[in-house]
Amino acid sequence: MSGREPDGRPGGGPRPADPARRARSVVRPYVLTRGRTSSALGVFALHAPVLALIGPEQLGRKATPEDRKIIDLCQTPTSVAELSARLGAPVGVVRVLVGDLVEARMVQVRQTEDPSEHRDVRLLERLLEGIRAL
Amino acid sequence: MHSDLPVSMKIVVAGGYAVGKTTLVGTISEIEPLTTEADITVESLGVDFPGPVTTKTGTTVAMDFGRITLGPDMILYLFGTPGQDRFLFLWDELVRGAVGGIVLVDTRRIEDCFPAVDYFEHLGIPFVVAVNLFHGVYRHHPREVREALSVPANVPVVLCDARNRLHVKETLVLLVEGALRRAQMAGASAQAGS
Repeated sequence: MSGREPDGRPGGGPRPADPARRARSVVRPYVLTRGRTSSALGVFALHAPVLALIGPEQLGRKATPEDRKIIDLCQTPTSVAELSARLGAPVGVVRVLVGDLVEARMVQVRQTEDPSEHRDVRLLERLLEGIRAL
Repeated sequence: MHSDLPVSMKIVVAGGYAVGKTTLVGTISEIEPLTTEADITVESLGVDFPGPVTTKTGTTVAMDFGRITLGPDMILYLFGTPGQDRFLFLWDELVRGAVGGIVLVDTRRIEDCFPAVDYFEHLGIPFVVAVNLFHGVYRHHPREVREALSVPANVPVVLCDARNRLHVKETLVLLVEGALRRAQMAGASAQAGS
């Protein structure tokens, strides 16, 4: 892969995963997580944004291709679901990999699980404003 | 700590198989809808599940989703539910933390949307029923659809051509207006109670 996608917009701009690349992947997904199916940090929401705290050049030589890809994509905030689509890996795998990167302080995740956030009147007003302006 | 991270919101688009959910998402998404895979064997906590796609890597269901950037600090995701009733248990994950849902209806197969309506009602999540206009024609008036579904009066039932950006936008507006009213009422009663 050529690395980071050129995209200046906030929120990043991943394109659909390349089906040919996905078809070539013969690695069973959970090999990537060394068999682990959950992260100690809990379950990240599908839409939780992930942001890299380091640049791609700061990754060590032992970093896996998946970690590189996540750090590349997360130079702009990118959701767990988008990472899953771009890596061609199930959401469960991405959660474990992202959890590891959080523990290594290479990315941060904005948890969105707090339902009260979504009953927040001001937040909903902003959302409504944003949709009306589309 | 989260100053650089946008607030991320989620709306769920539900309805029967091939009712136009991905079309609706793609109509308003700023990216071509992406597909993500949920791994059933892992995420269903041991439920034995004969899924549609069995591969060497396990059984997965695909969910399509799109993204709308609403400013430098707010992103809205639209997630389509997997299109069959037997995936209902997956929805807990999809619906958790969602602003609300759109139930897309094909009036030729109106019963296909019953599970979605029941599900949103049961969880008490704001939702809108959107009657998809296939080929620009509709066979049933929204009033008839409302009667068939017997949804409460506070649930909007609207016509919505899933290919029409303005229709989709207006449907989203209706949904968020409902969610906002509910939040305002909840806030008012919390204040009155304190």
